[in-house]
Amino acid sequence: MIKLLLNRLGQGVLVIAVLQTLTFFLVRLLPGNPFLGERKLPEHIMAQLNSLYGLDQSAWVQYANYWKGILLHGDFGPSLVHEGVQVSDLIAQAFPVSLELGVLGMLIAIGLGIPAGMLAAWWRNKWPDALIMAFSMAGICIPAFVIAPLFGLSLGMHIPGLSVAGWDDPLCAVLPSLTLGLVTAASIARLTRGGMAEVLSADFIRTARAKGASAPRILFIHALRSGLLPAVSYLGPAFAALITGSFVVETCFQVPGMGLHFVNATTDRDYFLIQGLVLCYGVLIVIANLSVDLVLVALNPRLRSQGAA
Amino acid sequence: MSAPTSYEQGNSLWKDARLRLCRNRAAMASLVFLVFMALACFVLPLFPCIANPNAADLSNIAASCSWEHPFGTDQLGRDLLARVLYGGRISLLVGVVATFVAFVIGLCYGLVSGYVGGKTDAVLMRTVDVLFALPFIVLVIVFSLSIEEPCRELTNSVVELTGWSRDSVAPIFGLVPLFIAIGALGWLTLARIVRTRTLEIKSMEYVLAARSLGLGHLNILFRHIAPNLLGTVVVYTTLAVPGIMLTESTLSFIGLGVRPPNSSWGTLIKEGADRMEVSPELLIFPALFFCLTLLALNFLGDGLRDALDPKSAKD
Repeated sequence: MIKLLLNRLGQGVLVIAVLQTLTFFLVRLLPGNPFLGERKLPEHIMAQLNSLYGLDQSAWVQYANYWKGILLHGDFGPSLVHEGVQVSDLIAQAFPVSLELGVLGMLIAIGLGIPAGMLAAWWRNKWPDALIMAFSMAGICIPAFVIAPLFGLSLGMHIPGLSVAGWDDPLCAVLPSLTLGLVTAASIARLTRGGMAEVLSADFIRTARAKGASAPRILFIHALRSGLLPAVSYLGPAFAALITGSFVVETCFQVPGMGLHFVNATTDRDYFLIQGLVLCYGVLIVIANLSVDLVLVALNPRLRSQGAA
Repeated sequence: MSAPTSYEQGNSLWKDARLRLCRNRAAMASLVFLVFMALACFVLPLFPCIANPNAADLSNIAASCSWEHPFGTDQLGRDLLARVLYGGRISLLVGVVATFVAFVIGLCYGLVSGYVGGKTDAVLMRTVDVLFALPFIVLVIVFSLSIEEPCRELTNSVVELTGWSRDSVAPIFGLVPLFIAIGALGWLTLARIVRTRTLEIKSMEYVLAARSLGLGHLNILFRHIAPNLLGTVVVYTTLAVPGIMLTESTLSFIGLGVRPPNSSWGTLIKEGADRMEVSPELLIFPALFFCLTLLALNFLGDGLRDALDPKSAKD
């Protein structure tokens, strides 16, 4: 168990290092530079700006300095476009917003997807199954950027108090998190249905039925634990997709989260901000995958001996 | 699925699969739909009945549906039907070409990893594990933007070498960063699947026979192993297309994918979403085409999986 944890932690550190290195060098290959505004700056001012931010040094020196800043001082560097603002401040503002959106979306996805998948598996090949699977297929094929404007048009315009843009009051979170959650709920419902259907046709469920166990008892006590495995192992990637995928939703609803910053930072070529945000995404994803691994081990005792091997 | 109908003569794997696929109504309907969609996007615009998608007609702005403009026109008076069909060209093209890039990389990577085995396999598969944990779409964005410059130089040298006109070459070559970026990051699942199948096939007697006959490794890999895992590969490649098209349109939607003068379904949906309060059909028609295509691709992929890989669990 501890070995598994250490193994995964080591892999996580490797993932973040690779991610950060890739982004660092890719970002510097981007055409253009952060100081290209509407007005073209004179040559010597450009040179001064570059030396101020250390961009005139060789890539390797910059790379070493960047890591030194993060590891020794927790310093992600300054934003190149927002004058006088540190990347860490921007992230500190945007991160809670994105996290809240992601967690709300995840709760909606789990709250809708798992019960729907269980219902579909219980009434397999009957009409509730067909209905739920049709909805989940629609959820998989209709991308967030179509759902978002349609929601804005249909719900946002007609329900008073429900705002379609911004992040000022709690009601603002309704439409973005609903959009984010529905897309993931579709995949979770399909996986839950598959896992539960397999378990429900197993011999021990037949035995449970034969001894007269009630339907809720069979579903929740007997089948749930192993039937949920496929859905749970998907939760890690799903959370990663929610967090990174949220920039579509954030762009649509103008939510000031990391996604919106990321899109703007790539257009503005704000090197340090891109790097800081990608680092943040990487850490979140590593944590999500790690916790899902731990939950899986708790649900499935067979994995415990494998993990030690 | 039941056994083949004829007992006198055995059926080949592919014939069996074709029979199973033909019996799957959803998959066949999807196949027909996709063929029609491809014809509509690639062949129909060659006829004069489809307007020029970039011809602005300022006297006819934001018109609703009519005989002349079946889907109406957009805010610059451009025919929406033509724009949707031309957008479909780009979307389908990116979907197919990027998937092909992913297919080639994933196939070779998985084959080598499974066939060589040992330490090489361990290193290659740990690399895939690491890449899997990276935020895919974030990297696609950064990668596709950062190879734009080399790709532009490539276009210039092609124009110089061949003497083709820049206007005809530039739109297609503008898509190359997308092909490469999505393809270069989308092969991971396929590589894992190919590796697993290669490990299985490697231990079969006919591979042993081929080796004892003195065949070279490349020969064994591509003549004896690769054809036998083609079924699995076809299934998962088909299932990868909708995901890749979704990636492209997501990038285009936020303005970091397909750029003018090209437009894809993603950019059209973006334009439609911006003016949907005024004319919702600008959003609805491209979204409808896009979602139906994704739906058909998913059904076809599921059908192919049931036909070619009957052992794998449904869902």
